[in-house]
Amino acid sequence: MTAPRDQAGALARGARRVRLAWSLSPHAGRLITLALAGLVIAVITRRPEFAGVAAPAVLLLAAGRPGRRGAPGAPADVGVAARASAPSLVEGEEAGLDVTVTGHGDHSVGLSLHPRFAVVPGAGAASAAGEGSRLPLRVTRSGRRSLGTLEITLRDRWRLTEGHASVELPTVDCYPRPPAQQTRVVLSRLPSRLGEHPSRSPGEGLEFTGVREFVPGDRQRRINWPATTRRGRLQLNMFAAERTQNVVIIADASSDVGEPGCTPVDLALRGAAAAARAYLAVRDRVGLVVYQRGVRWLSPGLGTRHYFRIMDLMLAGPGPADPLRRAAGISRLPRAALPPGALILVFTPLLDRRLVETLRDLRERGFPVLIVDVLNTEPPGGTDSLSGLARRIWRMEQQAIRFSLRELGIPVVRWDGEQSLDEPLAPYTRRVMVSHR
Amino acid sequence: MTITPPGRAAVAATLLAAACVAWSATPLAGAGAAGGALLAAAIVCAAAATARLALGAAPRERAVFGNPVERAGHALADLARGLPWAEGMVIAVLVLEVLHPSRPWHTGLLGAALLAYLFAVHLAESRAGLAVLRPQAPLIAAGLGLLALAAGAASLPAATGSAADLMAVLAALAAVAVAGLALPGDPG
Repeated sequence: MTAPRDQAGALARGARRVRLAWSLSPHAGRLITLALAGLVIAVITRRPEFAGVAAPAVLLLAAGRPGRRGAPGAPADVGVAARASAPSLVEGEEAGLDVTVTGHGDHSVGLSLHPRFAVVPGAGAASAAGEGSRLPLRVTRSGRRSLGTLEITLRDRWRLTEGHASVELPTVDCYPRPPAQQTRVVLSRLPSRLGEHPSRSPGEGLEFTGVREFVPGDRQRRINWPATTRRGRLQLNMFAAERTQNVVIIADASSDVGEPGCTPVDLALRGAAAAARAYLAVRDRVGLVVYQRGVRWLSPGLGTRHYFRIMDLMLAGPGPADPLRRAAGISRLPRAALPPGALILVFTPLLDRRLVETLRDLRERGFPVLIVDVLNTEPPGGTDSLSGLARRIWRMEQQAIRFSLRELGIPVVRWDGEQSLDEPLAPYTRRVMVSHR
Repeated sequence: MTITPPGRAAVAATLLAAACVAWSATPLAGAGAAGGALLAAAIVCAAAATARLALGAAPRERAVFGNPVERAGHALADLARGLPWAEGMVIAVLVLEVLHPSRPWHTGLLGAALLAYLFAVHLAESRAGLAVLRPQAPLIAAGLGLLALAAGAASLPAATGSAADLMAVLAALAAVAVAGLALPGDPG
């Protein structure tokens, strides 16, 4: 039972003072209207029952003595501490905003959350009462999001004066929600690093590949006795070597079009997060290139910490705007960021011609490239014949781009963001992907 | 389906507003020619006050490029939020009651219903529970007692001469005191 108190205490120690602006409450204004209307009518018409109508309101106003500085003893400022229940969230995850208000005396405290873009208050979060509260909320779109503003309202015991203050809330990191991905694309040629993918070369793995004759120096525990009995000579089991692979994920965040929350950028980042998680889970080395206004990249690495480095790179703001050089930036990435023979997974709507040319260039340099097409919208337009014609031309151009990429040996699969990534990638995950120059 | 306490207060405010308007208008024939106009004004104010409770506070951020229908809706919502509809309904209902011949107990019940309506509106818009009114309960009871006394006094044969003048002076002094409370105080 002491843990929440300790947490509230720690939160209160980090409080900042916020000045209150006091004023008559709307309730006081309505009581004044009732009192004045009743008394004026009573005086004019000489009907005492209307003075009686005004009597309760007059009594309440006289007892409360509202003023612009609030009721007697009203605090000039309060201490407010607000922080998200977690420093980082995942899209759509339920979270909370912990708020502690101190120094409010015997005034009641009302909290009202005014969320910013992509922040949705949970049930009861639009308004809450109490000096220590948790307002439920969730962030619906990945990015570094400001939670909005918190309005604090203090009311005296007569509810006749109100003190208002507004506090800017902190930002939270919201990571993209990765869709399910259980299977992985594995290349036919893997670098000589110990990993979990069976390779074509013999080695010390677990996958049985065949039987050969025993030669001096072989391990005796691998002798295949049934085969030895049949052939009359010592036979040895052979196993595939297990290797890791380098995967470089390119997330195209340059075309933010369509409905917020399901734009190609959202889909590209979610797909990249899923791929990174899936390949890191089998100890592959995963790197990330984010193609936005500039190119941001992270060298391939291993482990959970590297996954969060990848997530942080996705959230980092775009670099300096340089549209002419940004595509060339991918081709000019250092060897550490784009290791030779690495599998390149690209999540893109293929709307940027320069990126398309860069992908062609990468394929011609011998990189095995696989494109996940995340285009899920079309240009808006009217219903007239000219708009229809323009839209058909645009569709044909898009089909031509995809056709030319397939002709170069770059598979293009379509992903709508709803289904798991296993379904579109199934033709390439069932067997090894042959990588040749 | 559960209704939250603010939702219950809003429903109570709506029902009380309808009851106040209907109670003050009955019988409509007795209100004279201006009765119809005042009744219409009271109904509009009650409906707008209910809409204001339903709309809640204005959102801080809005779509910049909304369509015309959306923008018209926002303008209407702003109108409902910006004007003091509940106050307008109180005045319209009291004036409608004045147009009828004197009926003290009827007016007394109307006063109690109006007070309940104002508290229901406050609870609905501040999203507070009924418990916040507990400190005010003695004063509200005393006020309702005064209301009953006033209605009872009005039921007696009409006071004349100095007694009636004294009552009028007391009512005027109370009105001045209430107006003084409403004036802005020292800003420092």
